[in-house]
Amino acid sequence: MKRANGLLIYTTLYLAFLYLPVLLLPLFSFNDGTIVAFPIKGWTLEWYRQLGAQDTLLNSLVNSLIVGVTTALLATSMGLFAARAYVRNRFPGKAASEGLVMLPLVIPGIIVASSMLVLFISIGLKPSLTAVILGHTFLALPFSVSIMKSAFDDFDASLEEAAYDLGSTVMETFRRVTLPVVAPGIVSSFLVTFTVSFDEFVLAFFLAGNEPTLPVYIWSQLRFPAKLPNTLALGSLLLLASVLLLVIAEYFRRRSTSKSA
Amino acid sequence: MSDTPIIDLKNLDKRFGKFTAVSNVSLSLRQGEFFSLLGPSGCGKTTALRMIAGFQEPTSGQVLIDGQDMSRIPANKRPTNMVFQSYAIFPHLNVGDNVAYGLRGRGVSRAEIKQRVAEALEMVELGGLQSRRATELSGGQRQRVALARALVMRPKVLLLDEPLSALDKNLREQMQFEMRHLQQSLGITFVMVTHDQYEAMTMSDRIGVMFNGELVQVDAPNVLYARPRNRAVANFIGGMNFLPAEAQEANASHLDVTMPGFGRMQIEQNPNVTDRGGQALVGIRPEQLEITSDRPADYDAVAKGTVRDVAFYGENVHYHVRLDGVDTPIAASVPNYFHSIDFKPGDSVWLGVQSASVIDLGRDS
Repeated sequence: MKRANGLLIYTTLYLAFLYLPVLLLPLFSFNDGTIVAFPIKGWTLEWYRQLGAQDTLLNSLVNSLIVGVTTALLATSMGLFAARAYVRNRFPGKAASEGLVMLPLVIPGIIVASSMLVLFISIGLKPSLTAVILGHTFLALPFSVSIMKSAFDDFDASLEEAAYDLGSTVMETFRRVTLPVVAPGIVSSFLVTFTVSFDEFVLAFFLAGNEPTLPVYIWSQLRFPAKLPNTLALGSLLLLASVLLLVIAEYFRRRSTSKSA
Repeated sequence: MSDTPIIDLKNLDKRFGKFTAVSNVSLSLRQGEFFSLLGPSGCGKTTALRMIAGFQEPTSGQVLIDGQDMSRIPANKRPTNMVFQSYAIFPHLNVGDNVAYGLRGRGVSRAEIKQRVAEALEMVELGGLQSRRATELSGGQRQRVALARALVMRPKVLLLDEPLSALDKNLREQMQFEMRHLQQSLGITFVMVTHDQYEAMTMSDRIGVMFNGELVQVDAPNVLYARPRNRAVANFIGGMNFLPAEAQEANASHLDVTMPGFGRMQIEQNPNVTDRGGQALVGIRPEQLEITSDRPADYDAVAKGTVRDVAFYGENVHYHVRLDGVDTPIAASVPNYFHSIDFKPGDSVWLGVQSASVIDLGRDS
């Protein structure tokens, strides 16, 4: 009993250490004062109200949405084809290729960011949203590949053969059988890769040039103490959206694995 | 049944790298025949089926369906349809849409699709289940949907890859009869791959037995059972006692054999054996042996021995008999008429056999 209590205390402390700072963010975003410190002066929704009126913020939000959606589309479609090849086919260099795809997970972001900046400038691509999209696609690929791989793992290969046997062409088989069966995996991959891009800071900071994404904008605002409550409000909204998206993504991922079993 | 072969395989070869999956298989199937490819796993039977379906290209040789060369015709254009081992029911479609899948791709009118789907489901006794979700089906129902989905296309040949292996024993036996009846009433040629000898024997008009990529024997089930071509076939289908014997040619069709225990008798010669060098491996089915306590009359050969073991199988009883002067025990199987025959280990017995039941399997290889 004593040991169980010890574990409970440890777990509580551990979780508090992990999540309390995160929870402080939304808490102070309702604080009626510009200084982020206890005691809280009073409650207000003013900071949230002001968000809607800031053009640069809205611009960076739009930038982030453009980058996020494009990245999600690119990474998910590339992940879809790569995962199908990994699960279905045997080819020379398969293991090496699978390892390489996962590499972005372990390379330090700052290294990736600076090398990409050098590479892009040397091939004449100026820092821009396009550059950010390319960088984010690289970062998001491991996520989409592993999500799509688990979708294809549960996909009986004879389904495609059956469709082909029943007269479908290769394209028709893909459209009428492969896509609908792995659809939950696609949705899940889309949401996860979108979130990866939407929250990403280092690459965007290096590659965005004068078109900042939301995290880059937030960082720039941290220099102005008066804007801090605004930033907290914005951050809280982002936090909420991210968690929501990941929960939905997880729901679809589970559906894709349970459905074809 | 007409004379033109519906399927003609000519010297079919399939190699995967150095591994030969199918080796020089030639085979003609009659229209309306229920044909089974039987063999242990890895013998090449599924590869052969997949070459007929078009999922695999032969390394050399030819597949003809209804007289037409299939070399350049992909699977989606062939007049064959397949029932997969896993059934491959589309999980995102309901039963009706699964069955309608092939027809929709063909531009058949909505009304006709609806009618043909209903008929096909009726045929496999799933009438009215169009809107049932694929994920809600039992194993047997999935098998029926797979059948209906293939048959609704009105193929010239239906290919079945281990169609019953996923079902439990009782359902499997029931489906064997249903599929046989369905095939007979439709008159469509069925080609089934199976490793289950009983399944092959109960359902097929003819069976092709494959070992190591080669088609060793093609015959009707009763012929296959009574006259297996060699030891491998004899061993794979039913139980068999093997006895080494001395053999001399008596005439063009018969052999004089001298078997341990049973002595001399004249048996039918296996026409496929060319070089036997004075030897023959002979086979006797356990149920073809009479077992008695007194020396039996009216048998072409008899042998005396001692019961070593008794194995009770329910519908029959197997006695393992050690013949005087022979090391390997011989199995004799007797129908169980509630112990009208009841020998115990150690009992002295006689075995009797007719020459027609002694099978020449050629030289022991």
